[in-house]
Amino acid sequence: MAVSETFTRLRTSAWLGWQVESNWADPVVFFIYLIARPLAVSLTLAAMYAATRDTATQGAAFAGFYVANAFHAYVNTMVVGMGWVIFEEREESEMLKYVYVSPMGLVTYIGGRSFVRFVLGSISAALMLVVGWFLLGVRWDFSLTQPLPLAITLVAGLAATLAAGYLICGIAMVLTRSAVTVLEGCMLGLYLLCGVIFPVDLMPVWIRPLSYVLPFTWWYECLRRFLLGHGSSAWMNTLTDAQLLGAMLAVCVGFSLVAAFGYRELDRLARRLGRLDQTTMF
Amino acid sequence: MSRTLAADAMLFVRAARARAYVRIVGSFREPNGLIADAVFPNLGMCAFVLMYRALGAPAYYEALAVIGGILTTYWMNVLWGMGAQFYWEKQSGQLQLYFAAPCSRMAILAGMAAGGLLASMLRSLVGVALAVFVFHVQLEPFSPWHLAAVFFATMAALYTLGMIMASLFLLYGREAWHTCNAFMEPAFFLSGLYFPIRTLGAFGAVAAAILPLTLGVDALRQVLLGARSPGLMPVRWEFAALCGFAVLYFFVARWSLRYLENLSKREGRLTQRWQ
Repeated sequence: MAVSETFTRLRTSAWLGWQVESNWADPVVFFIYLIARPLAVSLTLAAMYAATRDTATQGAAFAGFYVANAFHAYVNTMVVGMGWVIFEEREESEMLKYVYVSPMGLVTYIGGRSFVRFVLGSISAALMLVVGWFLLGVRWDFSLTQPLPLAITLVAGLAATLAAGYLICGIAMVLTRSAVTVLEGCMLGLYLLCGVIFPVDLMPVWIRPLSYVLPFTWWYECLRRFLLGHGSSAWMNTLTDAQLLGAMLAVCVGFSLVAAFGYRELDRLARRLGRLDQTTMF
Repeated sequence: MSRTLAADAMLFVRAARARAYVRIVGSFREPNGLIADAVFPNLGMCAFVLMYRALGAPAYYEALAVIGGILTTYWMNVLWGMGAQFYWEKQSGQLQLYFAAPCSRMAILAGMAAGGLLASMLRSLVGVALAVFVFHVQLEPFSPWHLAAVFFATMAALYTLGMIMASLFLLYGREAWHTCNAFMEPAFFLSGLYFPIRTLGAFGAVAAAILPLTLGVDALRQVLLGARSPGLMPVRWEFAALCGFAVLYFFVARWSLRYLENLSKREGRLTQRWQ
């Protein structure tokens, strides 16, 4: 009964999320809007590669960067998008406090809204991979793909993405006006820190520990290794497949626990500071 | 007659100055926000520079991406600080105050542009510092006058384009908001912010004919990187085209503001929130 009720609530909030995301435009315009950004990022990366093709010495690494960039769509869409849900509900529609006290509760509501974000992220990632494969020539040898570790990697990475989304929601709840800047900063910061389009070995030594505690750094490296057959980081390449997968799982689980604890504490702090209905007339 | 003209001009300047003051003070009011605004836009640039490094590309490409990255600060300010500003004002219920004020809307937008430009210039210094101290970008000897001329022509074209975008928000709500959102990465691509625009071939020339950012980036690279950065056109032509864009966009913005203001008043959408 409880499971059925939770599922119904998740479905309702997902439906509401879909209406909020898409009801400002007709389906054709919305589809163009949906594909414009990921397509442009793919084309930018491809143009950068094309510009350096004759002079670059490590051009073979490009496919790994491109694939990781495609999967980074989940982080952009889900993690940052979930934070935006809090911001929009509080500042624009001023409904956050009502959602909070409703029988559905905020956690379930955010979960439902995140499902829509997951679908949008999947469309972006799939589009980038398809465009890469058919139009830009970003291909790989499927005989090097390891299906089982890849499946485990996908599930663990998406779970960590969801956990990070809740953590960002907690941060957005506590912050008011500056939440917009922090959300955008998270998007760009994760793009840099997780080595989406370059190996983390190129980061300054003092930043690398921060990269290694983020699950997405390991996620992208595992995706490269188990989908393409090779990673990009020299240090991570010294690990065996099992070690890399194990490390990724450990970091994802650890991060998810920290995120769950963080969300609970930030939620408490937001209530104590009276932030649930605090608008800033942005 | 001339007295009225002088009074109008004075009112324009005073209104623009007042709006610029609010923009500058607002930008520097929150130290955390200021640091974030200065640092975050440059993180994307760092990622692109490191990608060139990972691919083993010559250092010239890193310099090229740094210059493009610094200009993203301005483009983002044009999109969100100019284009979307009327959306924020509409949401907070303040837009009607602009229309009740006795000054011209263009004066308000000009003030917003001037204030935004100044705030963005300070923020872009972080990008310059990264270029010099972290990425050790090598520039060719250049004339500061040429740099200033090309830079301000680019900014004039960009911010007048921002005025046109702002006028759209008089009539539209979320449609225009999402359009701004969707313009981010496509504009980065079409203007070749992180790669030489010549890579796009004829398509790049078409982009340059639409987006002043494309010409601005190309011209600035030619000035700063010299012969290492062969451009789409000679710098003089690009400078002239940017000036032409600025004048054209200014008049289009003026017409667009009048037309859309009347239309949105007729349709009752000027003060409509949550549309």
